[in-house]
Amino acid sequence: MELLYKNIDEPGLNTIAVYESHGGYQSLRKALAMDRADLIQELESSELRGRGGAGFSMGKKASFLPKDKMDKYLVCNADESEPGTFKDRELMQKNPHQLIEGLIIGAHAASANCAFIYIRGEYDYVADILDAAVAEARAAGYLGDNILGTDQSLSLVVHRGAGAYICGEETALLDSLEGKRGNPRLKPPFPANQGLYQGPTLINNVETLSNLSHIVRMGAKAWSELGVKNSSGTKVVSISGNVQRPGNYEIELGIKSRDLIYGLAGGPPDGREVKFWFPGGSSAPILTAEHLDLPYDFDSMAGAGSMLGSGAIIVIDDSVPVVDVALKLATFYRNESCGKCTPCREGTNWTVHMLERIDSGEATPMDLDIMASVQEHITDHCLCVLGDSMAMPISSMIKYFRPEFESHIEAARHRNDLGAPPSPHPVEAVGSAAAGPYTSVA
Amino acid sequence: MPRPEQKMVTFTLDGREVSAIENSMLVDGAKCVDVEIPVFCYDAKLGQPVGACRMCLVEVEGINKLQTACSTPIREGMVVNTESDRVKESQRAVVEFLLINHPLDCPVCDKGGECPLQDITFGWGGGTSRFIEPKRHFQKPLALSPLIAIDRERCILCYRCVRFSQEVSEDYQLILSERGAHSFVSTFDGHPYVAPFSANIVELCPVGALTSQAYRFRARPWDVEGSGSICTLCPAQCNVTLTVRDERVLRVLGRDHDEVDDGWLCDKGRFAYQAMHVGERITEPLLRDGGELRPVSWERALQSAISGLTKAAGRTGAVVGGETTNEEAFLLQRLMREGLDSPDLDSRPGGALALDLHRALADPALSATVVDIEFAHAVLVLDCEPVDDAPILDLRIRKGVRRKGVKLAVASSRPSSLDANATLSLRFAPGAGEALVAALDAALSGTGDVDGLAASAGADVDQVRELAALLSEAGEDVVVLWGERLAHGPRGDHAVRGLLNVASRLKLASADGAGLLEIPSGANGRGLRESGLLSNAGPGLGEPGREGRDTPAIGAALAAGDLTAVYLMHCDPVRDFQDRGLWNRALSKATTVVAHAGYLTEGLIEHATVIFPAEAYAEKEGTFTHPDGRIQRLRPAISHARGVRPEWQVLATICKAAGLEMTFHTVPMVFRALVDAVPFYADLTLDEIGGRGMRWQQTAAAANLPTASDRAPYQLTAPPAALTPNGSLRLGTYRSIWAGSEVAVSPALKFLIPHQQVELSPDDAKRIGVGHGDRVEVTYDGAAVNAQVTLRAAVPTGTVFLAEATDSQPANLLTNGEPRLVEVRPA
Amino acid sequence: MTPWNPGEDVIAVQRGPEPGGAGGAYRSFGETLRGLKTTFARVIEGTNTIQYPEEKVPVYPRFRGRHKLHRFEDTGLEKCVGCSLCAAACPSDCIRVVASENDPENRVSAGERYAAVYEINLSRCIFCGYCEIACPFDAITMGHDYEMSDYNRSDLIFTKEMLLAEPIDRTPLRNEGE
Repeated sequence: MELLYKNIDEPGLNTIAVYESHGGYQSLRKALAMDRADLIQELESSELRGRGGAGFSMGKKASFLPKDKMDKYLVCNADESEPGTFKDRELMQKNPHQLIEGLIIGAHAASANCAFIYIRGEYDYVADILDAAVAEARAAGYLGDNILGTDQSLSLVVHRGAGAYICGEETALLDSLEGKRGNPRLKPPFPANQGLYQGPTLINNVETLSNLSHIVRMGAKAWSELGVKNSSGTKVVSISGNVQRPGNYEIELGIKSRDLIYGLAGGPPDGREVKFWFPGGSSAPILTAEHLDLPYDFDSMAGAGSMLGSGAIIVIDDSVPVVDVALKLATFYRNESCGKCTPCREGTNWTVHMLERIDSGEATPMDLDIMASVQEHITDHCLCVLGDSMAMPISSMIKYFRPEFESHIEAARHRNDLGAPPSPHPVEAVGSAAAGPYTSVA
Repeated sequence: MPRPEQKMVTFTLDGREVSAIENSMLVDGAKCVDVEIPVFCYDAKLGQPVGACRMCLVEVEGINKLQTACSTPIREGMVVNTESDRVKESQRAVVEFLLINHPLDCPVCDKGGECPLQDITFGWGGGTSRFIEPKRHFQKPLALSPLIAIDRERCILCYRCVRFSQEVSEDYQLILSERGAHSFVSTFDGHPYVAPFSANIVELCPVGALTSQAYRFRARPWDVEGSGSICTLCPAQCNVTLTVRDERVLRVLGRDHDEVDDGWLCDKGRFAYQAMHVGERITEPLLRDGGELRPVSWERALQSAISGLTKAAGRTGAVVGGETTNEEAFLLQRLMREGLDSPDLDSRPGGALALDLHRALADPALSATVVDIEFAHAVLVLDCEPVDDAPILDLRIRKGVRRKGVKLAVASSRPSSLDANATLSLRFAPGAGEALVAALDAALSGTGDVDGLAASAGADVDQVRELAALLSEAGEDVVVLWGERLAHGPRGDHAVRGLLNVASRLKLASADGAGLLEIPSGANGRGLRESGLLSNAGPGLGEPGREGRDTPAIGAALAAGDLTAVYLMHCDPVRDFQDRGLWNRALSKATTVVAHAGYLTEGLIEHATVIFPAEAYAEKEGTFTHPDGRIQRLRPAISHARGVRPEWQVLATICKAAGLEMTFHTVPMVFRALVDAVPFYADLTLDEIGGRGMRWQQTAAAANLPTASDRAPYQLTAPPAALTPNGSLRLGTYRSIWAGSEVAVSPALKFLIPHQQVELSPDDAKRIGVGHGDRVEVTYDGAAVNAQVTLRAAVPTGTVFLAEATDSQPANLLTNGEPRLVEVRPA
Repeated sequence: MTPWNPGEDVIAVQRGPEPGGAGGAYRSFGETLRGLKTTFARVIEGTNTIQYPEEKVPVYPRFRGRHKLHRFEDTGLEKCVGCSLCAAACPSDCIRVVASENDPENRVSAGERYAAVYEINLSRCIFCGYCEIACPFDAITMGHDYEMSDYNRSDLIFTKEMLLAEPIDRTPLRNEGE
């Protein structure tokens, strides 16, 4: 069942006229007529979980905002920079009014009167579309003071980022929005209490907010019946990598992963097998072919030791060496680490160095142990999740493909003519050689 | 905001019951039971923790992930484990991560031996590293500023220095460039980090990345000894530890005292120690012989001074600068009053203030402490520039505004560096402080002609009303930080009456955290007054036997020949006081000019008859009184430079020669005599003062303060109207933090020596036809100052500002302490 | 009252043999003669005096004599960077180091800093060798020279130049098996 992507390819859907002709902004009227508490209740009972990666209940997050009268903010996180994720781009590019409508409903729920869309700098052309749509919405009276005659006012600003992955982290995004260097903040305080300009702030992903109009339109109950328990609603899945038909697919959560990868996306090219796949963007631990029969929902992915994340599936087939993927991934996170906290800053850098040695054959199997231990030291020790985002997939790759890492080192050593491998136990080697105490190990 | 109530809670730490302050951070709470949790990025002085270094991870029961102890507030019943295997592994991991890019050049590094990274690696690290790749490299060492060297390879990116620059001193100069493992600390565009408090980052740095250029490679921690004392270069009197090697001071470090300096130091206090060991310092008595000052023996110098002074008995004046201790002041006032029968002595450069007003201002109920600034509802900075006058208070105000929500109002003539933090900034004409407080008084009381008075002050009447509203509505705790400048000049009495009226309208006396805090002109200004160095008051603000002349009157009397000798204690009137012309005449007319000085300044070179070398503050013993009434001890850290004698002994010798009975053998004996003479110091003993000082207001003897006969509100007389520029410009002056001999002779600080500059508003500059950097001549009645123009948009139109005590072309060529209009024209 | 009976508290004192007689004479002089046996045996061996300073006792390779400061053989730069660790380790507090910063144009040592002053007061030194152990750059080692007497105490304060200078080889080194 398509909700978000319904009519998505209809030309002109990005204009308010076409959007309204499909019943657009009707949910907004309904939502504005609702009491704030009822609206939050509605969102909570829909069990909508955040679509940005963490999967936290959207309604609950909105209910955390203090009820006092003060400046509150709603921020839409459109800094979609996770490798493999491209769902928000299409949503914003082709149906911006769906997002704006959702934003206004969200602002009503959070009683915020100031909202921002923080869009990544590379999506400049999408930001132009959003700007145009915001202008249209403002002209139509959906934005500004006293929307549709209610006491809800909202100003909406589209803010372009400057191309840092870390600014997709909610607190770094807030710092960046405030004009500072985009570094994650210490939590607590959580943005719901102290966010943008120290005010309570609700931050949600584009897809999460785009869902709001549908929840209001259908009613929470009908909407939550989509999908499966704990993973209600539909989800846009970006499938990329070694598949025949990469792209965005809107699915009801809970369908079999195999149906997604082989059914919708056509599976890997002929003659190739799925080697492993990232179920939720590049920061999710990998799963292998044996996990293909799992249902694609939040709980099943977590149960398999990975996560649904932003719903971006990257499929890797057996033509790709795992070391290449690991190196590319680690290099990405090394470059994007903000450098604020130690384990992430040094750990990502160290991991890249080790992977480079593995790739060139200068490493030993012992380095794999060190690398695994470094990943363990990064995991859960960082200020934000960026460190974990590298550590968890790399860990899982070592876990599933250790023999391949070892043979890769071996092959690279021969290819690069690096001579015999250093002994894994240098001390014993000296003793057993018995050719005198000063024999060089190498 | 008033101080929050502190509630004690009990939590469990490593199986022990610990009671600590609720909501204080775990790191601090653990110290209560001597459990050290290692930290790098956390320092309570820096404010909100950032949790960046991840060194302090601990296990908190009920929370799955390890938590940073620096940012986890203590709650009742919390169970914390700092010694589990998980915690230890994470600590080893973080140390290993930190050492990945840290060069192991400890033998070369200045921090070696006192390095938190060394200590924590030793205490919590794994002992080995598994990192075999090449480390990160930077060019090193680089000069971050002429005072600070930066070694980026050693940096562990803990953010302390950047946070200091951004959130404590608020100069916003230090930043992190690049990101991830490539990030490094720098300034925008690589310009030098020059700011009044810059070198605090050297002390903050937990590794040897930021080192002091002046201390670079001078000594290792085991070569040196630390000696606690106080800095006497300004009224803030920060507590310091002097690092001493081979009888030389090599470094000055802060000695954290929350109630005085909050652990920070200004760069002047941190580097001016160099002035103790330079060739320019006077280390032997000098005597004018054949028109030239020549080194002579102590006996001869003392003999000349004694004969000169006793010959002029009854016709001698004494003028005292700020660096004199209470003991020296006490001896000097005895010498003058009892030995030489001369009541003409003063420590206030701007002239006398009625004794009654001195007593009213000293009222313990009215006096605010330094900490009160931080916790006040509102602070009014009145006619002073904290960063120049008492730098460390500037940081305290910023802390209050940033972290405690203090509402700040600034009322000054010259644009203040605190304007950006202020809720309200008000400008008035230079020297029109009296009219301003009168206007404020009228606005607060609701009676009187606010419009007229504001016009007299050259201030905007709406702003005066806003200020009154701000102060009266902010809350009961209002602190007025005012500069002695307000009470200068012949109408000083009236200004202080106005100020006391404002204080009474705001009921400052009845609230605990409210009051007045004066920044005196001299470092020990308050102590000197209370020790009896006032023309109209004896020790303890008591009645003087006979009222004498104040500073300007002494100058005039010398020039007129009514006085023939003058004792200059730590001051050079030609350089430091208003009306340079008068003082030049006065000193050249005087037959005997006895001076205590550390360095030869222009007035002394020209006019002094005898100069006794002054002790450096590291050599000195005695007590100082902080502007908030805290008596602090000055303790000798090094022995006297060869040829320098303790100044109290010099004074005692002269006293003896003048026929006084002197039974003092040590400084504490003089202190005892001082305490006996000052009734409200009666409860103080040197033991109790100790290393942290003691406020006399908190002792029972404070009740012995002589009470003022007349109390606020006073009936004010109409202040004179501010001069109307009318084509010419109002002249305002200021004294930079960097003015002074100590800065001029310290090699490290020489680059900061202030040069005269003419601060003009763009409008006036346009009218006069000059631009930024052009040379202009500022003239008054034939006298002229010739300097370059600095355009400042914040300077009010119609006013020009000149610096005092610059090396050349000082402002006192044109001033005499009263408001003046000057002409500015292109030179 | 019955007098106190020491009873079993009494311990019999063991006494030596009575003096006098042949046994007595042996006991008086026997041990002395035994000692003299060694003395006379050495008399036969001949003199063993070493005629110092004409003759010198050779020292073992690890003998701790006068200190030496070293330079790098290739560059000629001083190994000492003036870190003062030797001074910290010194139990008799006889080492004084004042460091200074290298001029990159005119280097003294290889690192950023060098020892501008390096003095060892040999009249206080106890030749424990801790300085050698503490040195992170092997810049200071203990040599074999033990002839350091002088006429003037201040001459026993060895400066950096003296410690860097190639010492005169005055002390024979013990050979293997010697």
